[in-house]
Amino acid sequence: MEARLCGRALEIGGLLYRGAEAEVYEARWFCMPAVVKVRPPKPYRHPRIDELLRTRRTVAEARAMYAALRAGVSVPAVYLVDPLEKIIVMERLEGISLAHLVEADSGRALEAARRLGSMAARLHAAGVAHGDLTTSNVVVVGDEVFLVDFGLASLDADEDDYAVDVHLFMRSLESTHPDHVEDMLKSFLEGYRQVAGGDAVENLMRRVEEIRLMGRYREERRRSVWGQVEQP
Amino acid sequence: MVSVATPSSYGSPPVDPRVLYPRLDWSRELYVLGIESTAHTFGVGVASTRPPYILSSARSVYRPEKGGIHPREAAAHHARVAPEVLRAALDAAGLRIGDIDAVAVALGPGLGPALRVGATVARGLAAYFRKPLVPVNHALAHVEIGRLYTGLVDPLVLYVSGGNTMVTAFAKGRYRVFGETLDVALGNLLDTFAREAGLAPPYVVEGLHVVDRCALEADEPADLPYTVKGMDVSYSGLLTAALRLWRRLGPRERPRVCLGLREVAYSEAVEVAERGAAHTGKPGVLLTGGVAASPVLRERVAAMAEARGLPWGVPPLHLCGDNGAMIAWVGLLNYMAGITVEPGEAVVKQRWRLDSVDVPWR
Repeated sequence: MEARLCGRALEIGGLLYRGAEAEVYEARWFCMPAVVKVRPPKPYRHPRIDELLRTRRTVAEARAMYAALRAGVSVPAVYLVDPLEKIIVMERLEGISLAHLVEADSGRALEAARRLGSMAARLHAAGVAHGDLTTSNVVVVGDEVFLVDFGLASLDADEDDYAVDVHLFMRSLESTHPDHVEDMLKSFLEGYRQVAGGDAVENLMRRVEEIRLMGRYREERRRSVWGQVEQP
Repeated sequence: MVSVATPSSYGSPPVDPRVLYPRLDWSRELYVLGIESTAHTFGVGVASTRPPYILSSARSVYRPEKGGIHPREAAAHHARVAPEVLRAALDAAGLRIGDIDAVAVALGPGLGPALRVGATVARGLAAYFRKPLVPVNHALAHVEIGRLYTGLVDPLVLYVSGGNTMVTAFAKGRYRVFGETLDVALGNLLDTFAREAGLAPPYVVEGLHVVDRCALEADEPADLPYTVKGMDVSYSGLLTAALRLWRRLGPRERPRVCLGLREVAYSEAVEVAERGAAHTGKPGVLLTGGVAASPVLRERVAAMAEARGLPWGVPPLHLCGDNGAMIAWVGLLNYMAGITVEPGEAVVKQRWRLDSVDVPWR
């Protein structure tokens, strides 16, 4: 309750990251460190369509975060969702991205990958696909692992979407951490198996292989050249 | 009907191509003939290593009286007009076939029967007049004619036409396609809707597509499904929903469907282009292909690029749609880089993807 008496509800600071669709700003929410994800209007869209789309996407992202949380996956605490302003105010994580951790401390990174695997399995069991599961979208805070950026998540995902999540994780390892692909993937799948069971992992990986064997799979084409997409 | 264009109508490139293609040897004076027949257009153009670089562009477009493009009828049209278009392009360039150093042809992607006419003409010319034969990818030609006429050295490219909708950019020796339509192309979406709704043919009236024209009557857009998946767009659901709504509404409300369709379709394309620009960090945006002729789409791409602080550009109107000049231009570049094919091996490739083409001269 003390926190609520402190400062103003929302103070917005400097820009942390500008993507194609959204901007992320440093912020304080009743004095607590926070970030604000904003979906600004796009001048190339009809104002009415733009308004509708930004509202839907803001709400969808918050719903996906909530669904993840319900499934037992750590995500930043959502402080405020304002569909009128198209903003989500959320907890600011003071941690390190898995992408950085792989290079800095591979032992801790392996443990984080195992926990990420378990999180992905819980997420998938709840019918949610993250849609952009790269090492840049995993934040490690102490010994806790958080999944961030649900901007491309889908709530009515199917098995292909789950396989794409795993594929994207593998691709992000291959493009940015080529020396750690095998051990990181092994840990990830170990964590996935602990939650979903061995049969589920086998089925999943069969589908992942199918997707990768398509050869000109879309994600593969673009990520192999530019690394990850939308790095916060 | 054959239409002939020369630099007096489409202008000269604003930049010296040596800036765009520093790896090539520009010291020789070369002339390359290019043949385009991937879809409804049979076109022939002439390109040179000397200004004004694109010497002429002649074409005849197959326009069905009703319905869409029938591949066999398009091919029959191409075969009928080929000699006349060829002669018009050479005459406008002030050249004879003997002056030509190489014959280039678009071998794909496109409609098989239509492609085969261009390939047959090109193989015949190359074999009979003993000219080297140069294979050209049609999509690559749209991109490069755009670079030549906008002077954008390394742009993010939005290529939109009747058969293609893609976001592409150059990296490591090839154009990489990292966003595209999952089903129908943007031009195909607009044309199919227009046809099914009874608005077309003709598809374009006084430079404006009939869907854009019908949208002028609307005050608010109808609410239609907007499908962007990652960096890809999907238009098939939009088409179905738009047609269903069109049939349900009375004539006074129908323009709202046109406006909604147009707005959603263009927004999807420009949104994935923006994503591409953000992710690749390319310093400019190039809009190219047949649908790049749309003044409304140009406006939208301009708004996106300006908001991101990027220069943008689009080729001259005549060179947006399919034409032989762009085939001649890439044919010239390929020829200088030593890319030729034996006439006996110059088979058409209906699904020749842009991202499978090595581009050694960039």
